[in-house]
Amino acid sequence: MTPYERAVATLQNEPVDELPAYPLVCGLQRRLLPNQPVTYRTWATDAKLCAQSFVEGFNQYKFPYSVLLEDLSVTAHDFGSNVRMDAENTPFVDDHAIKSIEDYEKLEMPDIHKGRTGHLIEMNRLAATALKGKSFMISFLEGPLLTLSQSRGAEELFMDMFEDPAPIHKAMEVTTQFCCDAVTAIGETGVEAMCWDYLWGNYAVLGDAEYGEFEGDKYAKRTNEATRKAGIGLAVHNCSDIPHLKTQIKDFGVDAYSMAYYPQVPESPTMAKVIEDGYAEKCTIMGTIDPQLFMRGDYQSGVEVTKELCQEVKTAMCKAGLKSHTCIASGCEVPPDLETKWEVVQAVMDATHQYGAF
Amino acid sequence: MSKEEIYQALSDAVIKCKIPLSKEYAQKALDEGLDPVEAINEGLVKGMGVVGDKFAAHEIYLPQVLVSAKALYAGLDILLPAIPTGALDNAKKAVTVVVKGDVHDIGKNIVRTMLTAGGFVVNDLGKDVEPQVIVDTMRNDNVDILCMSTLMTPTMDSMKSTMDLLRETGYRGNCTVTIGGPPTSPQFAEQIGADHRDNNAQDCVNWLKA
Repeated sequence: MTPYERAVATLQNEPVDELPAYPLVCGLQRRLLPNQPVTYRTWATDAKLCAQSFVEGFNQYKFPYSVLLEDLSVTAHDFGSNVRMDAENTPFVDDHAIKSIEDYEKLEMPDIHKGRTGHLIEMNRLAATALKGKSFMISFLEGPLLTLSQSRGAEELFMDMFEDPAPIHKAMEVTTQFCCDAVTAIGETGVEAMCWDYLWGNYAVLGDAEYGEFEGDKYAKRTNEATRKAGIGLAVHNCSDIPHLKTQIKDFGVDAYSMAYYPQVPESPTMAKVIEDGYAEKCTIMGTIDPQLFMRGDYQSGVEVTKELCQEVKTAMCKAGLKSHTCIASGCEVPPDLETKWEVVQAVMDATHQYGAF
Repeated sequence: MSKEEIYQALSDAVIKCKIPLSKEYAQKALDEGLDPVEAINEGLVKGMGVVGDKFAAHEIYLPQVLVSAKALYAGLDILLPAIPTGALDNAKKAVTVVVKGDVHDIGKNIVRTMLTAGGFVVNDLGKDVEPQVIVDTMRNDNVDILCMSTLMTPTMDSMKSTMDLLRETGYRGNCTVTIGGPPTSPQFAEQIGADHRDNNAQDCVNWLKA
């Protein structure tokens, strides 16, 4: 099977020759571009270079999926937050647009075609065009609550949720509409799915009631519906330690779910456990290699970790009667900094090819 | 109102996130001539302990914990200045900080709250802090405990830089170092020479007190 055929078959729970493997390499791929060095700032602001880096990644590693993630400050930037872009670090918000409870109601809809979202849409178009039929193209954007937490600061947002929730709902209407408009435009770029980052569906942060009120029950349903209406697949990424699996997989009815695993957190579910619990019945589960491995491991440890995960996943698939619906991936983005080792990316691809074969 | 009732009211104010009540009963404790240290320990800290336990058991969630912490600090702002000089001389000093390159500080702030509730004297250095600033503070203030946090993988190296500098300056042997944050692990703590890594603030404080 070609990587693309394997990717599509997996999403349809059809038989595959081997498990697909996709370490979430995004910003790291700037190091594959010719005429290096390309700083993160350049990569994240030049749509052409950014798209080209995904092409280089595919050419070198034959990734079955390409998740077009830049960072988690794209939408917050467009809502007026300042984003700090160090040369070799993931960009992050260092000055929030919403500074007081009154500011929630002042949040205005940015033009999705301008700013960083506009850049992302263009990058999606270029990458999807270049890799059409070769790699399954998945766009990536912060969900409405993550957009708001990045615009206010998570701690302040959480306190506001408890103390004065009404203005938050007004702002959520705006961020949700922005996300819906963005996915409508992204659906026209040629990508085949949208992956929403619904990070705060995490039992270490919010319970069912809180997550339901501030994203799950209403706002995420709208962004999910907009995704379906755009004619593309629906995926969710949640790299939190105790994710709201029932809400985000079963209730949302997603096609793919990208998750992490934290062995030191007792309640953190393994990929095998998630499969055993029936979540892979209608959804492809992607995970859960520790992104740290790509910085601190080497080829051999990469092989060992991947081999073990492949064996766990295949056993769980067998018990669950699955034909596929699983993908060996990193639990979160492979760190894009200079210390990250491509040899570990290669190890994951090689080991999945060997130990993930059927 | 008896002493016990005032302490219970302080505890309840923290548990129920009632910031004005925390201020009111902290002031009442002082007006009644009660020992501010006892009011902190028997009132505010007890309440925060209940909150910490409920949070660890997933009975309550982060929004409530953060507002409880606000209530705790509101009471502390009134009671701490009333403590006689020297009364906290035996309390251990701790520094909390998010390391250079990272601005995500929720976890660090919860650790700061739980440490305060645990009787430590805490100097919070904030976020995105240079190793040199951390180490200078540790040395100049004779700090016993360093709690470093980061959310992001690339900035884990700032933890290592700080540990290296602690060793270079010869202060490492004078302090206990704990680290936290989702990308960290006990193995990473060992690699960089930290003493401990924990999953949550309450357990970390329990470890420090053991």
